[in-house]
Amino acid sequence: MSDAPPLLQVRNLTKHFNVGSRFASGGRQVVQALDDVSFDVFAGETLGLVGESGCGKSTLGRCLLRLYDADGGRILFNGHDITAMTERALRPLRADMQMVFQDPYASLNPRRRIGDLLAEALIAHGQTDAAANRARLAELMGLVGLAPDHLDRFPHEFSGGQRQRIGIARALALNPKLIVADEPVSALDVSIQAQVVNLLADLQERLALTYVFIAHDLSVVRHIADRVAVMYLGTIVEIGATDDVLHEPAHPYTAALISAVPEPDPLAQTARTILQGEPPSPANPPSGCRFHTRCPIAQPRCAGERPNLSADAAGRTVACHFPLTAGGRLP
Amino acid sequence: MNGETLLEVDDLRVSFRTGQGVLPIVEGVSFVVKAGEILSVVGESGSGKSLTALAIMRLITDPNAVITGSVRFRGQDLLGLPEPAMRSLRGGAIAMIFQDPMTALTPAYTVGAQIVEQIMAHRNAGRMAARTRAIDLLGAMGIASPRDIAGRYPHQLSGGMRQRVMIAMALSCDPALLIADEPTTALDVTVQAQILELILRLRGEFGSSVLLITHDMGVVAKVADRVVVMYAGAIAEAGATRALFARPAHPYTIGLLGAIPRLRGPRLVRLPAIPGAPPAPHDRPSGCGFAPRCAAATGICAAHPPLITHDGHAVACFHARAA
Repeated sequence: MSDAPPLLQVRNLTKHFNVGSRFASGGRQVVQALDDVSFDVFAGETLGLVGESGCGKSTLGRCLLRLYDADGGRILFNGHDITAMTERALRPLRADMQMVFQDPYASLNPRRRIGDLLAEALIAHGQTDAAANRARLAELMGLVGLAPDHLDRFPHEFSGGQRQRIGIARALALNPKLIVADEPVSALDVSIQAQVVNLLADLQERLALTYVFIAHDLSVVRHIADRVAVMYLGTIVEIGATDDVLHEPAHPYTAALISAVPEPDPLAQTARTILQGEPPSPANPPSGCRFHTRCPIAQPRCAGERPNLSADAAGRTVACHFPLTAGGRLP
Repeated sequence: MNGETLLEVDDLRVSFRTGQGVLPIVEGVSFVVKAGEILSVVGESGSGKSLTALAIMRLITDPNAVITGSVRFRGQDLLGLPEPAMRSLRGGAIAMIFQDPMTALTPAYTVGAQIVEQIMAHRNAGRMAARTRAIDLLGAMGIASPRDIAGRYPHQLSGGMRQRVMIAMALSCDPALLIADEPTTALDVTVQAQILELILRLRGEFGSSVLLITHDMGVVAKVADRVVVMYAGAIAEAGATRALFARPAHPYTIGLLGAIPRLRGPRLVRLPAIPGAPPAPHDRPSGCGFAPRCAAATGICAAHPPLITHDGHAVACFHARAA
């Protein structure tokens, strides 16, 4: 996998938002949603992007597809730098990179039939042959486990799991290479969630897709991702193979995040490290290591000097001055 | 846990009159909450778990709702209680917290003022005494600077902080029973861990019983003493948490526990999903609600399976896995 050039290369990506107004209390503020984020995604793999609310994972997902314009850094898709491309130049590439959203109901126009909604993507990319489109739509429905006659129905006639299948069908319509899925199963009930996770895995195998899978649920990510990037306040604190990161976390935040997940097993060990407090506001991030205000092993150095994301002696890619030793146990 | 029964729900049914006739949502739910225990009602969306909690609190205001059965709190029937008596019970002996604390708090008053108001409404306390108690309670919730937080408005607080405020308010009148409806669902996992620890600690320190409504089996495993699993408006299975997780007997519970991706243990290539989706209330099957999705279903499942209790473990299934 590492011999081929990455499908997606992200280098020093930065994104900030201006919030508030000069009339609001607190005045104008700049939120650093992404701060110097770099990573690669290889063809055919699934990269899981995990973190708590406000960590910038959704912003990152949108920047990858140029739904947001980054403020700094570069994104290379298949070797093309898409950060500075004009809309017109980008348009043919858009077919190759698609998105699946968390709430499929909010992303489906309630007044249009599913067939029309799906055909829209094809027509927008110049495929206007009605008969060919009908055949393609029927094929898409089969791919995601729905029946062709569902094309004549409206979004409200479907259950949540079926709507997410429609969202996936729409993303697949143009034969993309990359799909960014932003919390695709977190609005679904557990029994349905498993169906959609299995569907995504099947589709990846059949269609050679590459996924960036954004989620807050570590257990789902563990199941579907080959590699995981853990984000905290706009930065990646740790990235690596799923089993390494989740079983032997090197960053204290990863370790705390894992131990906070309640396991569906009453005999499971209770959380070893309960973090105090909540993530600070990204409008006013702490100095140095952004995690030092909640870190159980923070040292004076952590407040002053920002750790870079780099491979440590044990070959783990982590942004921490004092990475955890094997076993993920806090010293 | 002295085993004394605090709340007894017996054959509770909630239906709604609609243009197409009466639509049953909760179809005969019975359970007890004992003093000092944490009972969890778990189910997926549409299972009727939240409506059960609202019916117990008499908070279903829809004029088309039909509620039958009985809800006894310390032997007193709540469904027949006059509204003024019910009102003094709510927030007093029975308190409730919700998933979204922002909608349960008034945006126009400081959180301290809201707790003070509640204490003064239920207790014969002066404003100063109430204020002292409010600040003490916020401190007991693990809030580092309770005096400062009491002076803030809800929008100035984070989600986790708001939920702590809600719990402080709920506990302000020493409730015997705390009903918590998805109290950690809107919170991040590290904050959820804090709130769950808090709920466990409160049961010890305040001696409250807790009726916890959730969809998350992980939350159940962490805090509940006993668990009631609901599906399609009825109880599928109920029992002690450890026994139920160790030996689930209802095909739905078995399927649900199997479908949850795990953080530990072997990684499966495919998650064992349950086929299909829970039925909408208007097309629930006439017999067992789970039968259309159940691999074990046979002809007999067209009848309603009775909830049969054996050794404290209750199962409503004709094909229940033997213990």
